[in-house]
Amino acid sequence: MRHRVIFQPSGRRGEIEEGKTLREAAIELGVGIEQVCGGNKVCGKCKVQIQEGYFAKYDVNSSMDNLSPIGKEELKLLKDGEAKNNYRLACAARVQGDVLVFVPEESRVGGQIVRKAAGKINIELDPAVKKYYVELPQPSLEDAEGDYERLLRALEEQHGLENLSMDYHALRALPVALREGKWKVTVAVWSDREIIRVEPGYSEHTLGIAFDIGTTTVVGYLTDIATGEVLAIDSMMNPQVSFGEDVMARITYAMEHEDGLRKMHEAIIGGINRIVSNLCEKAGISREEILELVLVGNTAMHHIYLNIYPEYLGVSPFTPALHRSLDVKARDLKIKVAPGANVHVLPIEAGFVGADNMGVIVALEPEKKDDIWLIIDIGTNGEIVLGNRQKLLSTSCATGPAFEGAQITHGMRAAPGAIERVRIDAETKEPRYKVIGKEEWSDEARSEARGICGSGIIEVVAEMFKAGIIKKSGVFNTSLETPRIRKGENNQPEYVLAWREETAIGRDITVTQSDVRAVQLAKGALYTGCKTLMKRYGIDAVDKVILAGAFGSYIDREASMVIGMFPDCDLNKVVAVGNAAGDGARVALLNRRKRREANRVARRIKYIELTVDPDFQTEFMQAMYFPHMKDRFPHIQHILDKIPK
Amino acid sequence: MTEDKKQLLEQMRKSVIEFEEDRVKELAQKWIDLGYDANEAIFEGLAAGMEVVGELFAKNEYFVPEVLMCADALYAGLDILRPHIKAEDRAETKGVVVIGTVEGDVHDIGKNLVKLMFEVAGFEVHDLGKDVPLEKFVEEQLRTDADLVCLSAMMTTTMPGMKRVIEMIRERNPNVKIMIGGAPVTEKTVEMYGADATGEDAASALGEAINMVASLREMKRKKEI
Repeated sequence: MRHRVIFQPSGRRGEIEEGKTLREAAIELGVGIEQVCGGNKVCGKCKVQIQEGYFAKYDVNSSMDNLSPIGKEELKLLKDGEAKNNYRLACAARVQGDVLVFVPEESRVGGQIVRKAAGKINIELDPAVKKYYVELPQPSLEDAEGDYERLLRALEEQHGLENLSMDYHALRALPVALREGKWKVTVAVWSDREIIRVEPGYSEHTLGIAFDIGTTTVVGYLTDIATGEVLAIDSMMNPQVSFGEDVMARITYAMEHEDGLRKMHEAIIGGINRIVSNLCEKAGISREEILELVLVGNTAMHHIYLNIYPEYLGVSPFTPALHRSLDVKARDLKIKVAPGANVHVLPIEAGFVGADNMGVIVALEPEKKDDIWLIIDIGTNGEIVLGNRQKLLSTSCATGPAFEGAQITHGMRAAPGAIERVRIDAETKEPRYKVIGKEEWSDEARSEARGICGSGIIEVVAEMFKAGIIKKSGVFNTSLETPRIRKGENNQPEYVLAWREETAIGRDITVTQSDVRAVQLAKGALYTGCKTLMKRYGIDAVDKVILAGAFGSYIDREASMVIGMFPDCDLNKVVAVGNAAGDGARVALLNRRKRREANRVARRIKYIELTVDPDFQTEFMQAMYFPHMKDRFPHIQHILDKIPK
Repeated sequence: MTEDKKQLLEQMRKSVIEFEEDRVKELAQKWIDLGYDANEAIFEGLAAGMEVVGELFAKNEYFVPEVLMCADALYAGLDILRPHIKAEDRAETKGVVVIGTVEGDVHDIGKNLVKLMFEVAGFEVHDLGKDVPLEKFVEEQLRTDADLVCLSAMMTTTMPGMKRVIEMIRERNPNVKIMIGGAPVTEKTVEMYGADATGEDAASALGEAINMVASLREMKRKKEI
């Protein structure tokens, strides 16, 4: 038995089998609904509103009675009045009849600001694909050699290229291209060994795209690989987001659904193809001109875009299907570019430390430095590399989604309306803050804030600590006299960052004790990772801390050290490098020697599994304090000294 | 109860709550030196303190670090007191528990805390550790004739392993109680997997274990009256 389900405002609709949840219906119909917990009725972020009544346009009689009755767990996650106002959790409500479902903005996936511009890179140009212009002698009855052989002979004579093979699809196009170009053609050769395209006449540009496939965001950089120039950038939310927000949720989706991997694979390939066409449109070129792609992504993304079953990545000992780099024909992945184009996939280190981290290393080259660097790529999964030319160690730690605004009471993605900057007066405990999309701070104009994004959460927690609102242990100081600190739901202490009159959501925006706890867990995990690697290396301090990843370039360095996200270091030596994974992908696109180096370095990096370290529990426990239970922070001691007792 | 004894117990309780490990050791030693009953100190001193810790944790006033430090203090006291438990108390175990983190999962902080609670409560605990092959739970249950099997998983990817263990155990021994826990485990998981109980998250699993100790103390007190 099937029922009609319509989602608004997207207008997507379809016939859904009875008993499926609204979340499953949304996935089937391609509607993006937030689902941080992977549909386990835990996060409460997938709230939707049922519109009741008869809707002629769709010929449905939508009613709350057409869904399974509301459950206890679900009721707990709905705020006062929400249940009465027809709100349900998409992951809990099951379809039993026709429904029209409104997805409110806060539950909608999308609209995120992508902060992944192309950084400057300095790299010698030695791309895998090179173009050669050749002029061939016209065939005659005396010289009736085949087109292919004729081309090979010309390439050898004019460019010294030997032992070339030819891509089958390029071969099929060869006879026409030769004649159309009047025996003058431009030949694209991949890795000095395979002809992948023949164009009539002289063609100057050699184009490729570097892709950074993040768990949440996908970015493509259309690049002239003969000059290194970035011609266009395009990005989008990873369309897999509707299958689960973090890598574990996606792996689980593949494990629990027979066609789960196929669906997620098709979703990301669809996304890649959409970016390809957007880039082509922006640059005014055709798809067939794109001759090379480089993909980087964490290990889970890597397996899924390669259509490799990811279960074994998700369980100890977290073994990937392969470590080394890989070259695949774009057409095998159904990526629509030149039929002969190649896709290069960077190598994987270990466990969750994937090709994106390799991208970071390719871009920054810590293996060539004397200084000891601590490279932290902060995302849903924190990836850390420590070392220099002597040795390199890496690890990954589950920071959870707190830094991305999830599992935080008023958390949201970095989208317009998100609080991103916060200052709290240590005397009055009054805050001022700034939201994304507005120049003015909250004391200059009505903020119309909707929530707090990841960088805002780090700042607000750091400021609360500096103002003495929360103690070193993270617990609220409830003896302070200000209406900003009060008992909220479940009698939990909370700090009011924005009063309802200022906001766009008609509710106070608060930071609760549980929110502080979530930050403690996340930052504790990250710090423990850094410290464990430092101990293994045998050092007490590092020369430089490098924050990689888009998020790293957006967080306040001082605030992140005040809460103790990483060990003490001269703040001037803490640098953000932006989307280093994307930069690494571009480097690999422009220089094939770097690809070989990446394989070599990947083998040299020693992966350390944190949770099996004998001191893990103690380290983790101590690292949950602000900034730490025991470790000293000489470089910010002057700030810590000013905290009201 | 003499004033001195009462005072010692009260100090022990307080020192567990304030995670003063050395102080707990000192008090436990003094208790033994004075020839008092070890079991009484475990229940009315250490466990009583941990009960308050559980309340503080539930109220979010204490977090994982504090609970772990309290647990350390409690362990320190337990190490001193346990060898002196009277033979008749020793014979009277509350039950046998098999506990471990399932195959593929290497997280064990939560599991270790739950284990500690069982130990304090006087259970005979067989800890299989972490990344435990699923069959091992079944074998260990049969070998020890355990009344309760506790499974832990912290990742959504390893959670399904618990379901397989439950099926295997139920097949051979339908009467065993099975408790599951870990961050991704919810009431729904319990129902779907056919387990008997869970704490809703790592936090309340801990809370529940502490509650269990509390009710045992209650039972014990009633028996004594």
